Amino acid sequence: MAEPSTAGRSFDAEALPHLDALYRVALRLTGDPAQAEDLVQDTMLKAYRSWRQYRPGTNAKGWLMTILRNTFINDYRRRKLEPVPMDLEAVEPHALYRSVETTDPEGTFFSQIVDEKVIEAVDALPREFREVLVLSDMEDMRYAEIAEALELPVGTVKSRLFRARRQLQAALHAHAVEMGIIKPRES
Amino acid sequence: MVRAIDCADAVARLQDYFKRELTPELAQEVERHLQHCGGCFAHARFEENFLLMLETRARRDSCPSALRMRIVHTLRLDPERD
Ligand SMILES: [Zn+2]
Repeated sequence: MAEPSTAGRSFDAEALPHLDALYRVALRLTGDPAQAEDLVQDTMLKAYRSWRQYRPGTNAKGWLMTILRNTFINDYRRRKLEPVPMDLEAVEPHALYRSVETTDPEGTFFSQIVDEKVIEAVDALPREFREVLVLSDMEDMRYAEIAEALELPVGTVKSRLFRARRQLQAALHAHAVEMGIIKPRES
Repeated sequence: MVRAIDCADAVARLQDYFKRELTPELAQEVERHLQHCGGCFAHARFEENFLLMLETRARRDSCPSALRMRIVHTLRLDPERD
């Protein structure tokens, strides 16, 4: 195997540590492990070939996420049907909390929901909501980093996040009620 | 002096507060409100538990090692790099 060049070594040092995060985000975008693998591989190859455009010491993770997300939008289609956005404007902002504040005010029901259901609920979010939620709340990127990576204004990231979390809370709450983890609101 | 905020303002900022996305001044206003308002304090625990739940569920998958090896190998041999 050829020895890596200096540029190759800097790519190894700056880009390869983000493979786990890229793979997890690819999983949530595609909803399919085989497609996620292809998407990560395509992303890394594109990144490698345009490594000259990356400014050393800046945010490599964000730069890679931009490539991953654009590659996904341009070249991939979700195997699962793309979820239809809920009309969240119609949902009262704090409806969910109001419905649990007497029965489970601390939201302990969240911890009783199995991983698969949480992931399923995340995957059921529309892509615009899912991508900001995954980057912020699952990969712990800052709002400003996400805005840069997705080429969106920070205000848009914030409002999408707010609505994504609300929709996710509503879905998890509905699941918890269905499973008898919490009682439905007495009305 | 920390400005007093009402419940609606406090609740609207809770998620950004736990994500450490508020300026120190805005965060202090939230903290001050939570110290005096049991209702919002309970709501804050709810939002905190929700965000913690997402964080702890998140990082259970990692890049499969076969994929990692394939990528490293492909890049070493790539003729087209800059
Ligand atoms: Zn209050």
